[in-house]
Amino acid sequence: MGDEPRESSRLKLTDREIERRLRFVDLRSEDLEHIASIRQLVADRAENYATAFFDYLSKIEEAAPLFGNRTVLEQARAGKREHLNGMLSGKYDRAYVEQRIKLATLYGRVGLETRVFLGAFHHMLHVIGLDIIRALGREGLERATECVMSLEKVGFFDLGLMIDVLIDERERVIGLQQAAIRELSTPALQVRDRLLILPIIGVLDSQRAKQLTDNLLHAIRANRAKVVVMDITGVAAVDSKVANHLIQTVAAAKLMGAAVIVTGLSAEVAQSLVALGVDLSKLNTVGDLQGGLEEADRILGYSLQRI
Amino acid sequence: MPVPILKQGDTLIVSVQAALTDRDLIDLKNELAEKVGQYRSKGVVIDVSLLDVMDSFATRTLRGIAQTTKLRGANTVIVGIQPDVAFAMVQLGLALEGVDTALDLDEGMELLNRRFGKGELGGG
Repeated sequence: MGDEPRESSRLKLTDREIERRLRFVDLRSEDLEHIASIRQLVADRAENYATAFFDYLSKIEEAAPLFGNRTVLEQARAGKREHLNGMLSGKYDRAYVEQRIKLATLYGRVGLETRVFLGAFHHMLHVIGLDIIRALGREGLERATECVMSLEKVGFFDLGLMIDVLIDERERVIGLQQAAIRELSTPALQVRDRLLILPIIGVLDSQRAKQLTDNLLHAIRANRAKVVVMDITGVAAVDSKVANHLIQTVAAAKLMGAAVIVTGLSAEVAQSLVALGVDLSKLNTVGDLQGGLEEADRILGYSLQRI
Repeated sequence: MPVPILKQGDTLIVSVQAALTDRDLIDLKNELAEKVGQYRSKGVVIDVSLLDVMDSFATRTLRGIAQTTKLRGANTVIVGIQPDVAFAMVQLGLALEGVDTALDLDEGMELLNRRFGKGELGGG
């Protein structure tokens, strides 16, 4: 996309929201105790777990984008080690959350898919869990399982953040694309002096309809247009809201001294408009664009002659 | 603030310079009704391009002016309605039915000339 690369996501959490999220995964003080008791165990092998995570990913084809870029991979590895340390620190504050968001944004930027990430993350937790059970098993399986479960809560807390960031990233891309489509979608073209055509293609929602009206009215002024041919051949469906908006646009154009001819109403659109009972008496409609241009020429006093 | 009314041949040109109070509008209406007869004008062009708001009273008065001058023998054209004003008017249901509108002064004059030429006003 055309914007500059961003270091952080738009996702910003307040302390209150972080607290809420910790409550969602039901992280309690005994969990923190459990985690404190295994801190050293995991910290000693943090490097192994990070390796387990990335080795697992490297075997998955869909994770290739992450391995294509050396600096990104280094950043991700460092981030993961940092993550493991943070996970065991027992402090899940804003700094921790920001680290998570930063790493997740990195994944999002290289296009790592959520499902792939989930697989690797689960694998890593699994490896850690096995180690914990192995190490603490002698003291009692129950205790070991509790420790694993506590760590898992933190893991799910992290996943929640991760997924939100990835979704947010995706929505951002969609937003940019929508903006791009909006930019492209409503050109008003001058065909000859005083005559504009406005081809409309695609779905007309109310926001686009508003923008189209804006565009058209300003184009009428800028081009000193007297006649506008609005061609809606490319519009598959028109509902009553959009129809009313078109009627308003036509009326506004008339106030500015321009006549609007609407062309290209398909059989379905025409029928649905009649069925909806939209009052189209104010619309000057002609079957197709050709007919519309001929009508416009007539109004402007041009006649087309073969030479 | 009084609105200047300029006589140009057969036409009266009204150039609205600033937002008009209701009083100004009524004065304008009375003055135009008077002057159309006095100068035997055949057309009136009201330029509202400097207005960025047009409320229901203004719309109604402009329509009233158009009808009044018509009865006195002159066609009125409203010119220069801004895009945003036009759309706002439509959305508020303030249509200028039966009143001619044109893009700008040039267009308005041309529209009137066409009317004169066609003899709709009984010769020009």
